[in-house]
Amino acid sequence: MIKSKKRIAGFSALALGIILSTTGLSAVTQASAAPVKIKVWAWYPNMKEVVEIFNATHSDVQVEWTNAGAGGDEYTKLKTCIKAKKGCPDVAMIEFQTLPTFAILDPFVDMGKYGATNKDGRYAAWAWAQSTSGTKVNAIPVDGGPMAMLYRKDLFTKNNIKVPTTWAEYKDAAAAIKKVNPDQFIATYGNDSGWATGLMWQNGCTPYKYNMTKSKANVGIKINQAKCKSVINYWGDMVTNKLVDDKSFWATDTGKGYDTGKYWTWVAAGWTPGYLAGQLKDTIGDWAVAPTPQWKAGGDVHGNWGGSSFTVMKQTKQPALATKVAMELYPTQNKITKGSAWDIGLNSAFLYPLVTKVESNPEFAGYTYKIFGDAKVNPIYINASNKLGAFEWTPFQDFVYATMTDETTLAISGKTQWSAVLDTVQAKVVAYAKKQGFKVTE
Amino acid sequence: MKLRQSLTGWLFMIPFLIVVFAFLIAPLGYALYLSTQADTLVGGQEFVGFENYIFSLTDPIFLEGVKRVFIFGLIQIPIMLFLSTVGALVIDVINTRLSRTFRLIAFMPYAVPGVVAALMWGFLYSESFGPFVGIAESLGAKDFNFFSLKVFIYSISNIVTWAWTGYNMIIIYSALQGLSREVYEAAIVDGATQVQIAIRVKLPAIKNAILLTTIFAIIGTMQIFTEPRILARYTNAVSNGYTPNIYSFNLAFAQSQFNYAAAVSFTLALVVFVVTSIVLAATRRKGRVE
Repeated sequence: MIKSKKRIAGFSALALGIILSTTGLSAVTQASAAPVKIKVWAWYPNMKEVVEIFNATHSDVQVEWTNAGAGGDEYTKLKTCIKAKKGCPDVAMIEFQTLPTFAILDPFVDMGKYGATNKDGRYAAWAWAQSTSGTKVNAIPVDGGPMAMLYRKDLFTKNNIKVPTTWAEYKDAAAAIKKVNPDQFIATYGNDSGWATGLMWQNGCTPYKYNMTKSKANVGIKINQAKCKSVINYWGDMVTNKLVDDKSFWATDTGKGYDTGKYWTWVAAGWTPGYLAGQLKDTIGDWAVAPTPQWKAGGDVHGNWGGSSFTVMKQTKQPALATKVAMELYPTQNKITKGSAWDIGLNSAFLYPLVTKVESNPEFAGYTYKIFGDAKVNPIYINASNKLGAFEWTPFQDFVYATMTDETTLAISGKTQWSAVLDTVQAKVVAYAKKQGFKVTE
Repeated sequence: MKLRQSLTGWLFMIPFLIVVFAFLIAPLGYALYLSTQADTLVGGQEFVGFENYIFSLTDPIFLEGVKRVFIFGLIQIPIMLFLSTVGALVIDVINTRLSRTFRLIAFMPYAVPGVVAALMWGFLYSESFGPFVGIAESLGAKDFNFFSLKVFIYSISNIVTWAWTGYNMIIIYSALQGLSREVYEAAIVDGATQVQIAIRVKLPAIKNAILLTTIFAIIGTMQIFTEPRILARYTNAVSNGYTPNIYSFNLAFAQSQFNYAAAVSFTLALVVFVVTSIVLAATRRKGRVE
């Protein structure tokens, strides 16, 4: 019985083969050239739709996408698979500040060999500089985090408080808000080291120097320089005088606080409206965007917080196709057509594009957003992004950020002085770098 | 005949031995090997012997974590075991349907996975979603925050106590069930009250069960990881080396220092071993005096 079933199956397969081969070659060739599968790890919002678009428009390569966690959660997995020398995806999303931390482990394919280039200024200059070391292309920039101030326009207007344009005015506004309602704050000091670094960046503080191609073992660290300290001391003063709250940005309570009027502003990144939109229920449309307050009245300097890129892992068997995926998931588009990758990236996921053709597209500048009461806010971010200068990172940024957060936590709880935070961080980071074999320039 | 018998014995042992070797001895051996190497970001990997261990004993981040779990244990373990013991003694006396239900309810938190429990308490402690901030503030605490640096350690203690009290209660309760009822009858005939029986008769008899739960609690406390790791999203109190295991995790998976992480793990194991040995030795000597 079983035998006969097998025979029938064998016969029908043979018959099918004959039919296929006689009905034409097209079916056969399609079957033999199955598209190459490229594994991608990324946590962009609405990534599923972007992958579907890519797969629908490519026949030689198909993306198998996994959300392996955001930021640190993905990095722990990446570091494990790099250490294990297997199990890595072909393409991985990595934030700019973390690129050198990975690069020193040497896991990246030089995408320059497979056609990645910044010809015609395809990507924002500052981002391209952070994505390359020497002639080696480690990453393809996707989205950035130029900073601006999100604020509750309705509350500022109702209480007749001036929307701050300088940090001095920001402090005055903070005091005025406390008078309106002692339980409300102008903001919370979220103690996020990436955020604090963005504000230091705005103040022209460049604490790290590292160039892997020039010298792998030399690193410059000067985190306690005056331009960095003045930023931390400013916020320390605000926290100590209870002009700002001290809750983490990412706690559920904080998210709720943005919707209940507890927090009036958030100086944050180009991608933050995407996060904020998910927290708001009652105050959609009450928010607005203004440039980051300036240290000097009339100034126009800006910082960046986060943003990320696609890298190709050396473990891949298909470096050329993986590079293609890295470059074309969020491709260079002359026109942002409805339903295209960047249409989703910009309008659904609130990404700030580092692909210059998209960034400089008048359509992008003209977009309106519901949470901002249908205002056109992108010109503010575009100006901030275009004003960003060069910035470098250490090859052990995880440690730097963890130390900075821990020392700040102690200062918040009153156990240490705010003015000493960056001195302690400097000492600890330098000691760590030396133990790791680096030659440190302070 | 004898050789064959012993061969058959070993044959039956093989499945067990394979599992023990593959999942216990081999990983431990590999970790031990890793811990004797140094792999700096700039230089390559090299053999350094005990250098990582020596460094860990003077590493302020590691020592701070050890100190924190020590203090945590000194506060949390006595409270938890007191509650467990009282609970066990009570349900031992009132052997009704109510006590059976209570037994089940008290045990239930143990069945909730640690990650889920941590997330759940994260919401309960939340200012806008949970009831406890409101309760604390109605009792007179101003701006109470379960996630602040000072309070957070007690917030975790509470979660751990909630999760493990019922479990320990069941262990102590089973020990009570194993006691001979005739002893109580004799005590009742002698005119002892239930409270006197509990303190004078039952407690000394279940001393070993309490000791066992103490040892388990010490080991669990020294290795605490899940609750602070999950709740780190809500608070910055969870520092790089908040507990030794969090430090080890961060070293390996955030800072790529697998070798030092292995050494820290072994040092922690050593600390656990020393502490439990001291507790055992102390209780034994006390037992002899009595």
